[in-house]
Amino acid sequence: MSNDAQQLRPLKVGLIGNPNSGKSTVFNQLTGLRQKTGNFPGVTVEIKVGSFTLPKGQKVSLIDFPGAYSLYPTSSDEKVLAEVLSNPGDANFPDMLVYIADVTNLEKHLLLFSQILDLQIPAILVLNMMDVAAEEGIRVQTQTLAAKLGVAVVAVSGRTGENIAQLKAQMEQLAGTTPLATKPFYTLTENECSVAEAVKMNFGTENGYRALLIAHHKDWLPFLSVPERAMLTTIQDTKQFQSLRAQVEETMTRFDRFVPIVKSAVQQPSAFPLTFTDRLDGVLTHRFFGPLIFFGIMALVFMCIFYGYEITGGWVEGAMGWLIEQAEALTTPLNMAWLTDFITKGILEGLKGVLVFIPQIALLSLLIALLEESGYLTRVVFMFDRMMQRFGMNGRSIVALIGGGACAVPAIKGTRTITNWKERIITIMVTPFISCSARIPVYMVLIPIALPNAGWWIWAQVFGGMYVLGVVVALLSGWVLKKILRSTEQSFLTLHMPVYRVPHWKNVWLTVVDKVKSFVSGVWKPIIIITSVLWLLSSFGPGDIASKARASAEEEIALGHVPDSLRGDLEASYKLEYSWAGKIGKFIEPAIRPLGYDWKIGIGILSSFLAREVFNSTMYIIYSLESVGKIEEGAAGDQKPFERYSSLKDRMLNDTFRDTHQKIYTPATGLSLLVFYALAMQCMSTLVVVKQETGKWRWAIIQFVFMGAIAYLFAWLTFLAVNAF
Amino acid sequence: MQRRHRTLPELKAHESAQTISFTDHALACKLTAMGVLPGATIEMIRKAPFGDAFYVKVDGVRLALRTDEAKQILLTV
Ligand SMILES: Nc1nc2c(ncn2[C@@H]2O[C@H](COP(=O)(O)OP(=O)(O)OP(=O)(O)O)[C@@H](O)[C@H]2O)c(=O)[nH]1
Repeated sequence: MSNDAQQLRPLKVGLIGNPNSGKSTVFNQLTGLRQKTGNFPGVTVEIKVGSFTLPKGQKVSLIDFPGAYSLYPTSSDEKVLAEVLSNPGDANFPDMLVYIADVTNLEKHLLLFSQILDLQIPAILVLNMMDVAAEEGIRVQTQTLAAKLGVAVVAVSGRTGENIAQLKAQMEQLAGTTPLATKPFYTLTENECSVAEAVKMNFGTENGYRALLIAHHKDWLPFLSVPERAMLTTIQDTKQFQSLRAQVEETMTRFDRFVPIVKSAVQQPSAFPLTFTDRLDGVLTHRFFGPLIFFGIMALVFMCIFYGYEITGGWVEGAMGWLIEQAEALTTPLNMAWLTDFITKGILEGLKGVLVFIPQIALLSLLIALLEESGYLTRVVFMFDRMMQRFGMNGRSIVALIGGGACAVPAIKGTRTITNWKERIITIMVTPFISCSARIPVYMVLIPIALPNAGWWIWAQVFGGMYVLGVVVALLSGWVLKKILRSTEQSFLTLHMPVYRVPHWKNVWLTVVDKVKSFVSGVWKPIIIITSVLWLLSSFGPGDIASKARASAEEEIALGHVPDSLRGDLEASYKLEYSWAGKIGKFIEPAIRPLGYDWKIGIGILSSFLAREVFNSTMYIIYSLESVGKIEEGAAGDQKPFERYSSLKDRMLNDTFRDTHQKIYTPATGLSLLVFYALAMQCMSTLVVVKQETGKWRWAIIQFVFMGAIAYLFAWLTFLAVNAF
Repeated sequence: MQRRHRTLPELKAHESAQTISFTDHALACKLTAMGVLPGATIEMIRKAPFGDAFYVKVDGVRLALRTDEAKQILLTV
């Protein structure tokens, strides 16, 4: 390859290593902010690709593979590596591998390395955590290791950045050379050899170990065709090849070979003293204190998000108010009312819907990154695994469920730490049942309407009850989904719990940036589209709805029921009634009538899709209170939250059905509507994120229908029960 | 007849034993890859708060295992 061509085509380097080897830390050291997250094609496994330049100008594209212990994977995360490395035709097949090993535990970290040596891909062995090694008095002869393993060895510290430059230099040196055909690290047994030979003949695979891998993984490797799979099965059967047994034997043989090499090169202080980690775990995973401390920490996280929402929500509100004014000032001279309206009520409203989530996502991912980085989250998995298993989930799901109490969007993004596909899907499906902060304003309006004569003490209890309802339904749905969903993936706990470490600020910061960036980039397009559609529906209708609304308002004012000063509010109300949204509300009225709702609630539910709290502002418009609503809704921080929306409450309580003249808002309707809002999927941001995280709209649609059906059923039962009572 | 082995859940807190073998191949595959080999010393640290999982230490490495998994690990008496 000529020098020019080399400069054009970036060197593809794969970064691999066992979980907790410090891979992500080294990745961050090498690439800094020049990284982006995506998914491996076809699977929901995260791929991070970063770029940087070597000293002499060669561009490098660095692929961060999920941590794996071996090329014999037990989770979908680990499968990615085996899949890519057994197929040189794969788009992500690396030119070179950088292998990160934890030097303080090198004996356990070389299995995967010895396997990639046998695949004859150029590789560098990076001994990470040298700072810890120095502290613990561990001494390493890198030359001895290099000589005995036949590869370049670099000792670094991902935390201090020590020797990262040397690692780059080493990559440059290796990039120019062609790998020598070395003796394999592991010699195939006779049986394995005959299987590998047969695969080589039929598939044109050159490397013997790669051929063996293909035979081992014939059942799931996606690049194999059906006849190829059948042929591999025949090969295995005729050679009487027992895959699992062979894997275990091979692993043990490898350990037998490299453990002496490690022993000769690494001087470790002999005993394992009772460390800080052991003492801390004595408390943090204690039978009583463990769960107690966990709930304490989660309560803190929840409060941070909750107050964060109150504060940052105000900022977003302020910023958007300013933006709307600017937009009005800019577009009004154009004399196109619809344009002003579209920008201020459509686009900017949608933008606000995205913006309010950003501080929440940043804050929640910051807090979770801290817990993850310190090593605490693996203890949580250990403690709660049993409990969550019953409901089809995994110990880590509990973090998502609690995060969902703030906002489902960041909580669902956090489920990436769940490696079992089925457990992760269930967690994603049930998290939105937990009452999030956007439901709070709706509860504040509806609870006093449902129980107008009860005091705030009862109201507060009902408010708490909404959270209990969410948790119970989430767990029950998990239990149901567990019975329905099929998964062939065996679920393991077998979990390595790393030593406790002070979180590294760079890792934490980059995680937060990454989470926010991927949220915004994935979500803004669909949200703008949905917002625009909702705007169109509520601004237009059959015929000239603006003049029809004006006429109706005129008529009503002439009758003397309404003072002239409220003309604007009345017009807005009629306009919404005559719009397509109003038509839809009336159209679906028969469907929601069994729950006790009229068409106005129908419009409210429809517009809530923007974000649940939009229910309130829609109700203000419908009840001709648009201008009052701006004041009442803006009164955040009020001492009596249940009385913040008093004029809306009075107006709604007096409303009657047009046909029967009965009151709409009986306790039955109010409670039924509360249950509906607690359980229905009414948040487009969540749906978009579910699509983003599962890779398919299918799951978002299933979730929408599933939650909607449950909400309808429970609301209906509530309505019937309260009426019978 | 004297028993020649026991399984991991039988260990009391802070008791140690040597692993002999694993009765499930898939689990053996996972455990050996993590460096838990036959002959390794395994120490029981504690049970999970809600039961059904164990916190153990193997050659200084800390692991969490479900009871189902722990039962597949045969130990010296
Ligand atoms: N002291 C020290 N700590 C390190 C070093 N490298 C990584 N760490 C810490 O080790 C822990 C694990 O590091 P990660 O980079 O998340 O490890 P990983 O291999 O990517 O782990 P997975 O994401 O689970 O695959 C973190 O707390 C890091 O801050 C190092 O060189 N020195």
